[in-house]
Amino acid sequence: MTLSTTPGVKAKTPTKASGPIRLVLARLGFLVAALFGLVTLSFLLVSVTPGDPAELIAGPMATSEQVDGIRAELGLDEPLGTRYVDYLKGLATGDLGESYYSKRPITEEIGDKLPATLELILLSVVFAAVVGVAVGAVGAYFRGRWPDKVSRLATGIFQAIPDFFLGLILIYFVFFILGIAPAPSGRVGIAESGPDKVTGFYLIDSLISGNMSLFASAASHLFLPVLTLGLVYAAYFAKTARSTIGKALNSQQAQFARAMGLPERTVVRYAFVESRTTIVTYAGVIFASLLGGEAIVERVFAWNGIGAWSLQGITKLDLPVVQGMVLIAGAITLIVYTVLDIVVGLLDPRIKHA
Amino acid sequence: MSTEPNPDGLVLDVRNLKVSIDTPDGQVHPVRGIDLEVRRGEIVGIMGESGCGKSTTIKGILKLLGSNSHVTADKIELVGQADLATADNKTMRAIRGNHIGFVAQNPFGSLNPIYSIERQFYELQKAHKTGVKKAESREIALDMLRGVGIVAPERVLGGYAHQLSGGMAQRVVIALATTLNPGLLFADEPTTGLDATVQAQILDLITGLVKDENRSMVLVTHDLGVIAQYCQRAVVMLAGEVVESGDVMQVMVDPQHEYTKKLIGSVPKAGEKLSVAR
Amino acid sequence: MPEVFSTPRSQVFARLVKQHKAAALGVAFIVLLLLASLFAPLPHDPEATDGAASLQAPGGDHWFGTDGAGADVFSRVIDAARIDLSLALAGTVVSLVLGVILGLAASTKGKGSERLVRGLDAFQAFPLLILALALVTLSGHKLYMVVVAIALINIPRYMRLLRSEVLALRESRFIEAAIAMGAPQRRITFRHLLPNVWGVVLVQTSLTIANAIVVIASLSFLGVGVSAPTPSWGAMIRDGSGNMSSGEWWIATFPGLIVLLCVLAFNQLADAIGDTTARSHR
Repeated sequence: MTLSTTPGVKAKTPTKASGPIRLVLARLGFLVAALFGLVTLSFLLVSVTPGDPAELIAGPMATSEQVDGIRAELGLDEPLGTRYVDYLKGLATGDLGESYYSKRPITEEIGDKLPATLELILLSVVFAAVVGVAVGAVGAYFRGRWPDKVSRLATGIFQAIPDFFLGLILIYFVFFILGIAPAPSGRVGIAESGPDKVTGFYLIDSLISGNMSLFASAASHLFLPVLTLGLVYAAYFAKTARSTIGKALNSQQAQFARAMGLPERTVVRYAFVESRTTIVTYAGVIFASLLGGEAIVERVFAWNGIGAWSLQGITKLDLPVVQGMVLIAGAITLIVYTVLDIVVGLLDPRIKHA
Repeated sequence: MSTEPNPDGLVLDVRNLKVSIDTPDGQVHPVRGIDLEVRRGEIVGIMGESGCGKSTTIKGILKLLGSNSHVTADKIELVGQADLATADNKTMRAIRGNHIGFVAQNPFGSLNPIYSIERQFYELQKAHKTGVKKAESREIALDMLRGVGIVAPERVLGGYAHQLSGGMAQRVVIALATTLNPGLLFADEPTTGLDATVQAQILDLITGLVKDENRSMVLVTHDLGVIAQYCQRAVVMLAGEVVESGDVMQVMVDPQHEYTKKLIGSVPKAGEKLSVAR
Repeated sequence: MPEVFSTPRSQVFARLVKQHKAAALGVAFIVLLLLASLFAPLPHDPEATDGAASLQAPGGDHWFGTDGAGADVFSRVIDAARIDLSLALAGTVVSLVLGVILGLAASTKGKGSERLVRGLDAFQAFPLLILALALVTLSGHKLYMVVVAIALINIPRYMRLLRSEVLALRESRFIEAAIAMGAPQRRITFRHLLPNVWGVVLVQTSLTIANAIVVIASLSFLGVGVSAPTPSWGAMIRDGSGNMSSGEWWIATFPGLIVLLCVLAFNQLADAIGDTTARSHR
C-alpha cells in the first residue's frame, strides 16, 4: 500500500487497461494465499505446543485412561498431518470444528459473538477518528502555540495509557462516582436480555423490535467501552492527523493556495483533502488491530464478544476456538486492508491501480 | 540609487523591509531592511545566491511566511490599493491573486494533487467573486489555458496535476496566477526543475504576458543570464541586504559593488577560454 | 553530527536535557524506580498478606493503601518494577538484535524480500495480543515465553523499519559512491548503513520497551506470565479491577499509573531521540 507519490517530470501514461477487475482479482489472490498461510500457522502454533487440552479438560483427578479417552474423542491422538488435512477439509466446507467445552460449532459461536465486537469497535473507531482528527488538526493549525501544546499533552497521555486501565478508571469515575454510566455488565443490564437477533447489533435490533428502553440500555452500556477505546485510539489519530495535516498546511501547495488569495478555510480544506487517504488508511489499520486487540477491554466490561471469547478459549486450551479466532480476525483484517487499497485508490487520483 | 523622487508609474514601493524567523535555535534574520521599487510595465530581477533572502523577500511582501515569522517595513505600498505593511489578513487575501499573482518553482508542488485542474480554477474564482457559476468558471479557465499556449485545454482541465509534464504544469500555474488579471506578478525561480528547453519557453511566456498587458513583474532568480535577457532593472542581494540595484545594463556592464563584480565574473563569457584545472 | 561532537560532552548533555525536559524527567523516573526496586528497603514485605488489614485506603502506614489480601500496595508496586522492567528489557534486547540482523538481511530489492515483507504484513494481521497470550499459555506458562512473545511482536517492526531505511539509504549518493569505489558489501553495511540507521533504531527500541511493558501488563492482567505471589503491575490491576466499581480505587490505580508513567517516559525518550538525530542529520 504505497501512499507516497513522486512528482514525475514527465506526463505519466495511465496504466493500460489493467482495470479495477484485475486489481481486485490480484488482491483476492493474495488474500486467499495469506489466509491459507494464517490458517497453517495458527494450526501449527496451537498444535505443536506442549500444553495438553485433554489433561486440562479431564481435570487433575482424572486417570490416564480418562485423559486418553478424551484425547481420542477430540481427535488429538491422530498424527499432526492427518489433523491438519482434516482441519482443511472442514474449512473447505465451512466447518471450523466445535468448541471442546460448549460443544457448539465454532461458526455458530462466532456468529453470536462477532456482532457484539463489531458494534463496539465500529463505534470506537468512528469516535476515535472524529475526536482524534479534530484534536490533531487543531494542533497542526496552531503548531507550537498553546492549543498545540494542550493537544500534544493529551495525545501523549492517552497514547501511553493501557486501554484496560483507562476502562477501569472510567468505571470508577463515571459509574461509581458520577453514577452516569451503568455497571460494567456487558451489552445490557444483568436482568435484561438482548433483542431478537436480526443483525446482531443491539442498537439496530432494538430499534427494529421497537423496544426503546432496550435501545437506551444498549446505548448506555456501549458508552464506557466505546469511550475507553475511543480515547486511546483518538490519541493515535491525533498524532497522525497532526503530522499529516501539518505537513499539508506547510506544503508549497498550501502556500500557493494562500498566494492566490484563497480563504483560510479553503486552505484548511485542501489540507484535509490531502490528508484523508492517510487518515482513512489509519482508520482501517486501527479497526483491524482492534479485532482481538480489544479483548481485555471486553473482559473489563464483561462484553460478550469474540475478544473475551478467545481469551477464554486460550486459557482453557480450547484449540478450535483459538484457531477460529485467528482465522476470523485474520480474514477480517485482510479484507479491511484490501478494501482500504481500493478506497484509497478512489480517493486519490494519483494512485491508479498501483 | 533608488531614491529618485519619481512616483510616476510606481506600482510597488517597499521601504526597509525586514523579515525575522523564530527557529528552535534562536531568531534568524533572512531579510535585513531592503528597499524595492517596481514601476508599471517593468520587470525587476532580484538575484543572489541561494539563501540570500531573495525568495523570502517576495514571500514576506505577500505575508506568506509561517506564523513563526515577523515581517516589518516602513511601508509596502501597493500603489492605489493599500499599504501591505499594515494591512490586515482580509485585505491581504483580497490582494493576493487579485492584484499580485504568484508563480513559484516546482509547479507540481503548487497545484493541488487531489482536485482536478478545472476545480482549482473554480476555487480560485469563487474565493474572489461571489456567485461564480461553474460553467462560467470553465469558460474563463479554457480561455486562460489557451492564453498560456495549451493546445488541448479541455483535456487538461479535466485532468490532474500528476498527469501533466513539468512545462505544462507550470503553464497551468501561470494561467491560474493571471486568471484574475493582477497588475503585478511575483515569480520565484519559475523555471527551476524544468528541462532546459522548456525553461526558455516558460520565461518567454510569462514575460510576454507581462508586456502584452502592461503588467509589472518581480522575477527572483539566481541566473544572471535570465536577468540580463528579460529584466529592465536588477537588484542584487547578499545576506539579506541589497548591495546594488539599478538599470540592468548598468549593473551588468559596470557593477559597483565587489560582490556583484564577483557574481558577474564567475559567469564564463562567450569566447573566453576556460582555464582547465588539471 | 560533527558539530555535536566538537563541543564537550557535558555541555551537549546539559543542552539535551534542557531541550527535552520531559524525556529527561522520564529517564530519571525510570532510573529511580529501578534503583528503588533493586536496593531500597521497602516499608512492608511485598508478598506478605494480612487479612485484618485488607482494603485500607492510602495514608498512614500504607502510603498507597492495601489490597484485598491486606498486602501493601506501595511495596508491591515498587517490587514489581524488578520483574516487569527486566522482562521488558529482555524482550526488547532480543527484538533489537534479531530484528536488526533479519532486517538488514531482508534489505535487498529482490522479489524474495519483497514477498517477505508482504508476509510480515500478513503476520501483522494476527491479533497480536491473542498470539502472545496463546504462546505463553500453550507453553505451560513459561516466563521466557513472555520474552519470545514480545520478540515475535516487535521483530517484524524492526525488520520493516530497517528495510525501508536501508533501501532509501542505498539510493543516496554516498552509498552509491561507496559501491562505485568497490567497497565490499560488509564494509558498506557496517561503515555506511548501520551508523546512519542507528537513530531510527534507537527510537524504535525506546518504543519497543514501552510496548513490551504494556504487553507484559496485559498478559499478567489476564493471569498469564508472572505468577502470584510475585507482584507484577498487570496482576495488581486485575486484583483491583473489581474494586473500581465499589470505590477502592487505589489497588488498581497505583500500578496502572506506574505503567502509564513508564510508557510515557519511554515514548518521550523516543521523541527526544528522534528529534535529536533528525536535527544532527541536517
